[in-house]
Amino acid sequence: MNKQIAAFAAAGLCAVLATSCSGNSGAKTLPEKGMKFVVGFDADFPPYGYKDGDEYKGFDLDLAREVCARNGWTFVPKPINWDAKDMELDSGAISCIWNGFTINGREDAYEWTEPYVDNSQVVLVKAGSPIKTLADLAGKTVAVQTDTPVQKALAPDGDCAELGKTFAGVVVTPNYNNAAMELDSGAVDAVALDVGVAKQKMLDLPGKFEMLDQTVMTEKYGIGFKLGNTELRDAVQKTFKEMVADGTAAKISAEWFEGKDVIVLAP
Amino acid sequence: MPLAGLLLDLLEGLCVSAEIFALTLLFALPLGLVVAFGRMSRWWALRQVSRVFVSVMRGTPLMLQLFFFYFGPYYIFGIPLKPSYRFAACIIAFSLNYSAYFAEIYRAGIESIPAGQHEAAKMLGFTRPQTFFRIVLPQVVKRILPPVTNEVITLVKDTSLAFTLSVMEMFTVAKMAASAHTTMLPFVVAGAFYYVFNYLVAWGMERIEKMLSYYR
Amino acid sequence: MEEILRVKDLRKSFGDNEVLHGVSFSLHRGDVLAVIGPSGGGKSTLLRCVTNLEPVSAGSIRIAGEDLVSGGAYAPRAVQRRICLRIGLVFQNFNLFPHFSVLRNVTEAQRVVLGRSREHAAAHAMDLLDKMGLSAKADAYPCELSGGQQQRVSIARALALDPEVLFFDEPTSALDPELTGEILKVIRGLAEEKMTMVIVTHEMAFARDVSDRVLFLDGGVVAEEGPPAEVFGAPNNERTREFLRRFAG
Repeated sequence: MNKQIAAFAAAGLCAVLATSCSGNSGAKTLPEKGMKFVVGFDADFPPYGYKDGDEYKGFDLDLAREVCARNGWTFVPKPINWDAKDMELDSGAISCIWNGFTINGREDAYEWTEPYVDNSQVVLVKAGSPIKTLADLAGKTVAVQTDTPVQKALAPDGDCAELGKTFAGVVVTPNYNNAAMELDSGAVDAVALDVGVAKQKMLDLPGKFEMLDQTVMTEKYGIGFKLGNTELRDAVQKTFKEMVADGTAAKISAEWFEGKDVIVLAP
Repeated sequence: MPLAGLLLDLLEGLCVSAEIFALTLLFALPLGLVVAFGRMSRWWALRQVSRVFVSVMRGTPLMLQLFFFYFGPYYIFGIPLKPSYRFAACIIAFSLNYSAYFAEIYRAGIESIPAGQHEAAKMLGFTRPQTFFRIVLPQVVKRILPPVTNEVITLVKDTSLAFTLSVMEMFTVAKMAASAHTTMLPFVVAGAFYYVFNYLVAWGMERIEKMLSYYR
Repeated sequence: MEEILRVKDLRKSFGDNEVLHGVSFSLHRGDVLAVIGPSGGGKSTLLRCVTNLEPVSAGSIRIAGEDLVSGGAYAPRAVQRRICLRIGLVFQNFNLFPHFSVLRNVTEAQRVVLGRSREHAAAHAMDLLDKMGLSAKADAYPCELSGGQQQRVSIARALALDPEVLFFDEPTSALDPELTGEILKVIRGLAEEKMTMVIVTHEMAFARDVSDRVLFLDGGVVAEEGPPAEVFGAPNNERTREFLRRFAG
């Protein structure tokens, strides 16, 4: 053990003592060893973050725990009232919001990391189809998988109800493979689905399908920090990218998403 | 979740289930008779064809058959599918599948009629079709009612397999409502609907059995 | 008298087992022929062959001037059916149609096969049921009747098509002993009306009383044939004597 590490350890200890002695349970805004890294999350949002018995679990919490471990921070999961998230963040009660947090529409409200999950919903058509835009889908039959975000969005009470209304009909299939077969056999004109699955389908069946440039819904998840707190944001992002680079992030993803790597963050 | 809306959605799904149910019986009951005739045919080839048909239809999952009859035309013959074919394929698969089960019930029923009935009819000058439709079939109907009732009730519950082809029958509607609103209520209501449906079926079949109980 | 039935060299095998080894006999209109003999002697098989329920292996059968089978070759199906309509058969086990009422058992073939009107068929059926002492049971179902009553219905059913020859296949064998009398009485009545009949029976006394001629069938051959007085009184054949002795004893 060399002196440098010993010094760091001492500094870390001091920092912990300092924060606890001062009675300030809030998070430090500056990234330093031994500080508390308080992750604000909605405990009702599986699999990103939720309560299981007495424990808080989730994909995002596992990622955050790893980031803390690598930086020598103390990981503190803090379930918050989702409506009060801005007050929690501004007051310094939490260090960040990390909870399947959608960037789109909130671009300027937070200091964002690069998106790490892309939940955008896109449209697949047959290769060579005359359908090029969402407007071309008017009067067409579109397949969606049951119980997916895009199915809810296109429903009469969903976020994309206006678009859904232009279709001749929506066919709800039991799974993505059925939807692809429906498209392949010409029973439907298009399939609306998760971008990750769409890309996988195009890899599996090269040359069969095309993806429209327009998306039905753009939904990317990032980690949100208090405006101006770029220092902590950069530190987290840097560690996150290292985790992507060495495969740790993919491993965590596989645990939560049935072996799939959902992370789109570039190392 | 508004209960009225849920009930309305489920009733709509129930209509689809009932439609599958009624059309399947409409086609499978007579078709089963044709297959049963094939099974008992004098011609070896026809007997073998019917035997293989029954064997495959009973030996493979209905879900697979739904797939086969819906996607088969495209993946085997390259014929592009039309949206209207979805429901038709569903009815074709259900009808063929159930006709195989009905055929075996008919066959057992027909073979259980004593040879003396055929001989008496022959001696009275009845032709073979007259013998079958006037003498044998009415007695077969009485004998096979209990096993047919079993199949019919199974059919009511099997209609939920139609979702394999994205046909929105009642159970699918219930699953969607349950997942959208995170509640078990739709399942409870759907279960009640199925039960009432089957209760009516069983009641109807019992009535027919009573009607035919005037002789032994 | 006109010859109405002629059977010549009739042979019948089941697989390798020949049960009738060339049986010949004939029957004149108005006659009653009793077929007797030990069990397994081929009586029922002979009756089933003559009534076309069982195909012959060889031989000829001529009924009412038409060849049913000639030298082992059968007439076309349409001719077979026409011939079939001129004969009637009363089964050992009645074989009534259980889903039809007594009346409909007797009217159904009249209407479907002969195309008679409902009224005509019903009137004829009621006459016959009356003769059988069953007019009160017209609306009953077979399962509600005693064995003797069922057999009388089946006789009425066979008579309803006005057959020229009526065959009986051991008509009392399935009945309790106390019920056989009512059937024998009915058959005796038909004999008095000069109904042409062939009766396979175990009732020796009845066979002697009612028949004009007796055929003793043993081991698949006609062992003895002649008027009842001859066959029962002075049988030529040793087997016949032995058989009759057992019944007498």
